[in-house]
Amino acid sequence: MITAIVCIAGIGLVASFVLAVADKYLSVQEDPRIGLVLSELPGANCGGCGFAGCDAYARALVEGTAPNGACPAGGEAVAAKIAGILGVEASATEKRVALVKCCGTRSEAIRVGDYNGICDCNVAAMTAGGDKGCVYGCLGYGACANVCPKGAISIYDGLAKVDKRLCIGCGKCVSVCPKKLIELVPSSATIHVLCNNPDKGPSVRKVCGVGCMGCHLCEKNSGGKEAGHFTFQGFLAKVNYSNPPTDEQIVAKCPAKCMSVDPLLESGH
Amino acid sequence: MKVVKSAFKFKGGVHPDYNKGLANNKLIEALPMPSELVISMSQHLGAPAKCIVKPGDYVSRGQIIGERNGFISVCVRASASGLVKAVEKRLGPAGGKADAVILDTTASAPEGVEMLGDGPVLKPLDWENSSREELIARVEEAGICGMGGAGFPTSVKLNPPPGKRCEYLIINGAECEPYLCADHRVMVEKASRIRLGVEIMRKILGECAVRIAVESNKPDAIQALSEAFADISGNVEIVVLSVLYPQGSEKHQIFATVKRIVPEPPALPIDVGCVVENVSTAVAIADAVEKGEPLLERVTTVSGDAISEPKNILAPCGTKYSDLVQFCSGTKETPAKVISGGTMMGFAVPSLEIATTKTTSGILLLSSRRVFQYTSGPCINCGRCVRACPMCLNPADISKAVEANDISDAERAHVMTCIECGACSFSCPAYRTITQFCRRAKNSIRARIAAEKAKAAAAQNAAEKKEIQK
Amino acid sequence: MSGYLIILVGAVLVNNFVLSRFLGCCPFLGVSKRTETALGMSGAVIFVMTVASAVSWCIDHWLLKPNDLDYIHTLAFILVIAALVQFIDIAMKRFLPPLHAALGIFLPLITTNCAVLGVAEINFKQQTGFGEAVFFSFAAAVGFSLALVIFSGIREKLEHADPPRCFRGVAIALVTGGLLSLAFMGFSGLVKLPY
Repeated sequence: MITAIVCIAGIGLVASFVLAVADKYLSVQEDPRIGLVLSELPGANCGGCGFAGCDAYARALVEGTAPNGACPAGGEAVAAKIAGILGVEASATEKRVALVKCCGTRSEAIRVGDYNGICDCNVAAMTAGGDKGCVYGCLGYGACANVCPKGAISIYDGLAKVDKRLCIGCGKCVSVCPKKLIELVPSSATIHVLCNNPDKGPSVRKVCGVGCMGCHLCEKNSGGKEAGHFTFQGFLAKVNYSNPPTDEQIVAKCPAKCMSVDPLLESGH
Repeated sequence: MKVVKSAFKFKGGVHPDYNKGLANNKLIEALPMPSELVISMSQHLGAPAKCIVKPGDYVSRGQIIGERNGFISVCVRASASGLVKAVEKRLGPAGGKADAVILDTTASAPEGVEMLGDGPVLKPLDWENSSREELIARVEEAGICGMGGAGFPTSVKLNPPPGKRCEYLIINGAECEPYLCADHRVMVEKASRIRLGVEIMRKILGECAVRIAVESNKPDAIQALSEAFADISGNVEIVVLSVLYPQGSEKHQIFATVKRIVPEPPALPIDVGCVVENVSTAVAIADAVEKGEPLLERVTTVSGDAISEPKNILAPCGTKYSDLVQFCSGTKETPAKVISGGTMMGFAVPSLEIATTKTTSGILLLSSRRVFQYTSGPCINCGRCVRACPMCLNPADISKAVEANDISDAERAHVMTCIECGACSFSCPAYRTITQFCRRAKNSIRARIAAEKAKAAAAQNAAEKKEIQK
Repeated sequence: MSGYLIILVGAVLVNNFVLSRFLGCCPFLGVSKRTETALGMSGAVIFVMTVASAVSWCIDHWLLKPNDLDYIHTLAFILVIAALVQFIDIAMKRFLPPLHAALGIFLPLITTNCAVLGVAEINFKQQTGFGEAVFFSFAAAVGFSLALVIFSGIREKLEHADPPRCFRGVAIALVTGGLLSLAFMGFSGLVKLPY
């Protein structure tokens, strides 16, 4: 009995002594904050931050090479906690949400062919630019919906719609869209131009009933050019999101019916 | 010169329904000049040409309207004289919009208005007494790119980088795509021009062996070529290939003729000492050098079971498909699908308003009996695509990975080696569109590599700026 | 020599640690999602199991046997193995940083791995010589690695499959593991087992 106790205690003592010595002379110093930051991160290793997993992002954060708040899964709560650990402010950005800049539903925008391939926008876009007459518009095969980590995007009537309440603004849909028509906009902005076709009015009308023709009426109705609520690219009006319009009257006055008051909320299914 | 049978067979391959009989005995007919041409600036592989004309300009036939824009690029010349009506983005056969010059060929320059670049475009060259550089420059200024389908700039191909020597010049006359017989007719009718083109290329590349690869289902082409090449000097062979798709693919042709294997991209055929040129390209080179005639027109097969009279048409580059169809007496019935190129690798196009390019070897109008509306099912792991894949890939795995949005797994399965020949989709009993999956994976991998490069370049720029500031 | 061959075949195929003895199931499920991590884990397990069995043999024969303390061998082995793995972790971090980066995250997982303790226990029960004990541990670890790598390959493919919703994830992985175990039963009777 005594021998057993002595023996186990002896082994334990020797082992702990060896480990203590090893820790003293062999250990590598590591910033303790890495562990703390890592414990705050969600640990999903989703790569949404642009780093290879949470561990890599935590290291980059502590080294100061990565911006705080880049973790889409954790969101603001995690960013605030990490800011506390690192003793820096979280980069105070307004919440941004994805906006699909197209409103050409199946009934409004013509389809020029029958697409009979994989149900994926990127593949459809490789086949003669997709089956939609408007080569700038949403194809509605759901590439964005497939990559959305929150299931915030769904397809209604051949058109992708974003649920503002679910969107975390990770930007995955922006990069996957072959037509580049998804944009991250401030979630407080309510008035949007839902068109991505910079062509002249007549050629837009040929392919879509609700395409922007660049008539500048929205600009006029919102206080003219000086007010700076809109910018124009070719024959396409764009909302200037650093100075968004607030007067919802202009939406009803749009002759092309391509403007909308917060389309992001419509899809709350 | 001798005719030999190819002793090497690559792994995989399929036997689609060839349907060549529709047009392979039809003589090449020249198309009367259409009233409007749509000349794309992106008719070749690589950077699109830079358009140098503006609406209202009068241009003459053969004049440069698009300048070479980068190393992998070729110039674009006006296929006919006329008035530039507009310069705008037009849909190309492969999807995607590119700048195109809309030319009204009926308009002639009024008195006093200067035609741009009037007069003979290029002088005929005495090729035997010209230097190699002169000949390469001529191929370049004639705007010649590979006419088999990919459209790689020929002057780049004929000018191997230092340290690499061409041992074999392979002339590709396999034309393994179903329906198409443009190259077949060129071989039958223009065998002597092909010979001249071969001799010029041999002069450019230095002494090298020549292999002319023809599939055995074109006996008349083999006959015509062997007559034309009968008294040629040097190591020249006509290699008769067995009928197998994709025998016309560059890599498989190299294997079938000289048994060499081109490594994974970015390796090129020149890395194994081979240069592969299409028969039509050889004719274009002969015309450019001997007659001073730039590449302005090409033979295009218009075929399919919906067309009234399938034909092989010599048409200016930029002819709208609708003009070609009209020349073939229109359609018998409403086509269910229009394909630019062959059935295996061609692109379905949404309208006949699309125009031909230097690489358009055929247009197919297929009726609803030939076009099959399918629904893809799940992979049943039968392995037919693995057996069919001529690049020894595992298309089933790749397609499943892409379907699950796992592009990196597809990359590990060497999807970048895929030549998009379509043999996997053709052989799939579950009607899975495997080739499309591969193309999607390749596109996103290319996009990712480009983004990484841009990022690295930007980082380097920023670092350099910091250095300067210091 | 043939004795060693029998040990090898017996430990790798016939009495595979994971698939026949059901030891080390935790890492078998935990780190088999990707082949790369499975290979890293395999390397760590082979290394630790070989070293741990050597040390536990020494403890057994030089400390426990002379003092007639066989009955506390489990306790002693756990203590020694845990300390050993910790020590290796620290030492490797210092002297072989690249290897630590590759195996490092797996080492803590092995600390309390039943496969490591299991091999020491089996060695204790069999009372073989030092060479045979160490070789058996090595072979057992190789068997573990084989099962892990095969399983990770299957799981990579499974990720692209579309099983019914209730089967997704670990559920279908367990079914696959069971099938793999069944497959390995085919090796039984291949050699006359010393263990």
